[in-house]
Amino acid sequence: MNNLAALSPLLCVVLGALLVLLLEVLFNKENKSYLGYVSLAFLAGGAALCVRSWNKLYSFFNGTLILDNLALFFFLLFSLAGAFIILLSLKYISDQEANHGELYSLLLLALSGMMIMVSSPDLLVIFLGLEVLSVSCYALAGLKRKDEKSAEAALKYFLLGSFASAFLVLGLALLYGAAHSMVISGIIEYFQAGTASKTMGLIGLGLVIVGFAFKIALVPFHMWTPDVYEGAPTPMTAFFSVAPKSAGFAVLLRIFLDFWGASAETEFVFWALWVLSVLTMVVGNLIALRQTNVKRILAYSSIAHAGYMLVAVLAGDQSSLVFYLTAYLFMNVGAFAALIGMSKKGKEYNELEDFAGIGFKYPWIGGTFAVFLISLAGFPPTAGFLAKFYVFSAAVRVGLVPLVVIGVLASLISVFYYLRIVVAMYMREPSPDREVTIDQENPALFLVLFLCLYGVLQLGIFPGNILTIIRMAVSFL
Amino acid sequence: MGTLLFFLLGLLCVGSVLGMILSRNQAHNALLLVLSFASLGGLFGLLDAPFIAAVQIIIYAGAIMVLFIFVIMMVNLKEGIRPERKVWTIRLSAGLAVFLLIELGLAVKGTLASIRGEAGPAIGSPTELGRLLFTDYLYPFEITSILIIAALVGAIVLVKKKKDER
Repeated sequence: MNNLAALSPLLCVVLGALLVLLLEVLFNKENKSYLGYVSLAFLAGGAALCVRSWNKLYSFFNGTLILDNLALFFFLLFSLAGAFIILLSLKYISDQEANHGELYSLLLLALSGMMIMVSSPDLLVIFLGLEVLSVSCYALAGLKRKDEKSAEAALKYFLLGSFASAFLVLGLALLYGAAHSMVISGIIEYFQAGTASKTMGLIGLGLVIVGFAFKIALVPFHMWTPDVYEGAPTPMTAFFSVAPKSAGFAVLLRIFLDFWGASAETEFVFWALWVLSVLTMVVGNLIALRQTNVKRILAYSSIAHAGYMLVAVLAGDQSSLVFYLTAYLFMNVGAFAALIGMSKKGKEYNELEDFAGIGFKYPWIGGTFAVFLISLAGFPPTAGFLAKFYVFSAAVRVGLVPLVVIGVLASLISVFYYLRIVVAMYMREPSPDREVTIDQENPALFLVLFLCLYGVLQLGIFPGNILTIIRMAVSFL
Repeated sequence: MGTLLFFLLGLLCVGSVLGMILSRNQAHNALLLVLSFASLGGLFGLLDAPFIAAVQIIIYAGAIMVLFIFVIMMVNLKEGIRPERKVWTIRLSAGLAVFLLIELGLAVKGTLASIRGEAGPAIGSPTELGRLLFTDYLYPFEITSILIIAALVGAIVLVKKKKDER
């Protein structure tokens, strides 16, 4: 249904971003928390509008903006992620010399970019949305301006991200030249029709995949990830590891929905992605074994998780991919929230040695962190287990047994480094020369910790409700 | 008259680009680049594409060159950096140049074969472009404005001076 209402959730978020900018200029207070609350209000408004549009299938701009249920589900997921990140930033930014009110505005703009990406079937619009997201992320990575690592992260992210965008644009140009269409369904028709040579379209699609692989950090396009994740302010790292990844996978899901098995060319793309998936799972987990910085461990773990998600794309199973992304949101944001909790004014504790004995000294942070790590590793009864189970069983159903075997072995490797942190927290004595004291007066952080804990357990033990919603979302495709 | 102008502008364009490559002085390089952009704009004008000609002058000769000159001013190199002359880079660039030449030849051949004298309706006219921009491409157009806001806010937040910073 062509209706201006299709724009309303997006407009609400963009309006919030602009209003935050305006408030920052008008009042310019030292305490920026009020900007966070304003952003939260606009996110909530956007989410409410999403809920109201559920099942309505609004569209606008000649069908380049379509609010189907999948888009709405991702809107809600992004709003939730954004709200968590805002809550985590409230205290962090004034403690760690990143006290810029523009953070909330950039965060909302990044969210709007992701919403644009997931709600359009037109690759041109998707590209522009991706650019809105990336440009905001580059700036967010460098917000700790006095910190060299943060500046390095921003520069690295910017250079490699622009490089990836260039690949993407060139690929889109070739695809458009070959298929005479920028709409996903038109491109799929082009690949399915006729017997004419499709080399140009294939090269174009390959370049598009490379561009997206950069953004969602698949091996061998992951080089920027650990450095950017380590240097960026920790709440932003949490955001990078969850949100752009979900948006990228949502787009891949739409592209490859009807793609497999159409012709010999699609077979080629399938195997290329198969190799990427195996590399991502294996390399990500193996390098993570050697890290001693918890932030870097989580960075490599997020690379490895992208590999598992790619398995779901290859299996062509939408609901397991969406479920994985949902579960991943809760467990990864939760893990980063615990990491953010390990800080006091002007100091962050990110090294593995800092975590020795934390489990008994600060039971809430240690305990929840342990649950999130166990979930990331994929033990029952947590969400991580069910997510992996659904993805791998979907892959087995379509006969991707070798891929699943590799995936299971890779996640066995991952158990080692996740449990290493848990062991350090509970079974290692804190060394006397490393004094770790953290500032626990951060109610917003504990709110996020408990909400994530609730999410991880709810999705792990009673996933029924959310699965019903996800099935409703993907049944429209 | 048209032919004469074409060759004049073409000569100016190629000559200024050659001068730009051969000169070691950055300021001269920048000015010669402006000249080549301007003559390219003139060539577009000759091809009945007044809008593209104007855009070429405004964006390339105007905006992008200002950026170049800013960088040259800030970096302020007295002498150009001596290029390292390695055999393999020269060989590689020669190979790439030949490849490009062949590619261009093929492209020109293909284009000439498909053109049959008459020019089509003016594609590059401002009217047509404006109509497309505000009908079919309205959504991308609006998203671009969000993109520019994000880039501006990001750039400003990274470089602005805070009250307590000197």
